[in-house]
Amino acid sequence: MSAAPRTFGELLERHEREIFAYALRLTGSRHDADDLYQETFLAAFRAWPPPRRGNERAWLYRIATNKAIDGARSRRRAVSVEDLRLAAPERDGVTLLDLSRAIEVLPEGQRAAFVLRAVEGRPYREVAAALGCSEEAARTRVADAMKKVRAQVR
Amino acid sequence: MTTTESWVAEARERLALRARREGLAAVGYAVIDSPVGPLWVAVGPQGVSTIHFGREPSAWELRRLVRLFGAAIVPDRARVSRLARELDQYFAGRRRAFEVPADLRGLTPFQGRVLRRTSRIAYGDLATYKTVARSAGNERASRAAGAAVGSNPIPIVVPCHRVVASDGTLGGYGGGLDVKRRLLALERSEVPAGGWPKARA
Repeated sequence: MSAAPRTFGELLERHEREIFAYALRLTGSRHDADDLYQETFLAAFRAWPPPRRGNERAWLYRIATNKAIDGARSRRRAVSVEDLRLAAPERDGVTLLDLSRAIEVLPEGQRAAFVLRAVEGRPYREVAAALGCSEEAARTRVADAMKKVRAQVR
Repeated sequence: MTTTESWVAEARERLALRARREGLAAVGYAVIDSPVGPLWVAVGPQGVSTIHFGREPSAWELRRLVRLFGAAIVPDRARVSRLARELDQYFAGRRRAFEVPADLRGLTPFQGRVLRRTSRIAYGDLATYKTVARSAGNERASRAAGAAVGSNPIPIVVPCHRVVASDGTLGGYGGGLDVKRRLLALERSEVPAGGWPKARA
């Protein structure tokens, strides 16, 4: 575990790439990912210091996830295949187009769960931390999302 | 730079601007290139607070910044652009004095006095540690003055490279004696053939 960041810059330099990548996967477009990255870090700066030493990463994922859900409530967005190609590698013979359509229909909470687990391969502990729920609830949400995605791409 | 990296870099520039507008960023920093290698530079509300030879500030420099500004320190290329431009002009021999103010807070009163005196040494001139010690109020404290000059958080802009030992040797330099020699050679045409003598231990 690295030492707690002493400045906003240290936090940013350590985590901005993965947060941007996560935002890209969640939103599906560069423009929205940029917004989400900014909202996430501005919220983190406003709320400084991070709540628990050594846990900044989970804290940022949680902020990003909540912001993404808030943002999705206020606007419906489309996931472009080209952006998704950059964000998520092709898996299991499912085409990117299929996947993008499937992710699009997921409610935002499930979309975050799906991206964290199925696209990014995070352990359930981290999925739960990002979503702000128990591991049990995270498993359920991922399972529900998987079911919907499978039904869509079948 | 990959596509995503360049996207992150652009997002970061916008973030810096928004953080500054919101009053969340007291200090902006960046690594800039120079003929004497990369420089980590930081600019705050009262001017340049740090110039460090290298890509990362020292632990001491970072502690000083955090003491002065808290955590509100963010990467911000736009914020340091004026300093970067003046440094470019200086290295190109087209600038003899810096207009960006130097923020020398966060030092001991003696360090502050010594460095303010150092700031007044004109382009191309030299002063000795002893002279600087005298004008900082203690002629016999030239060793302490040497240490204070050595603690200069804003080299080049506060021209501690113009302070040398009484015997004509270069003394020390945070960026290394080669850099000190090079800065003096840039400013003074009458540099001895073969360069400046090496400092004695």
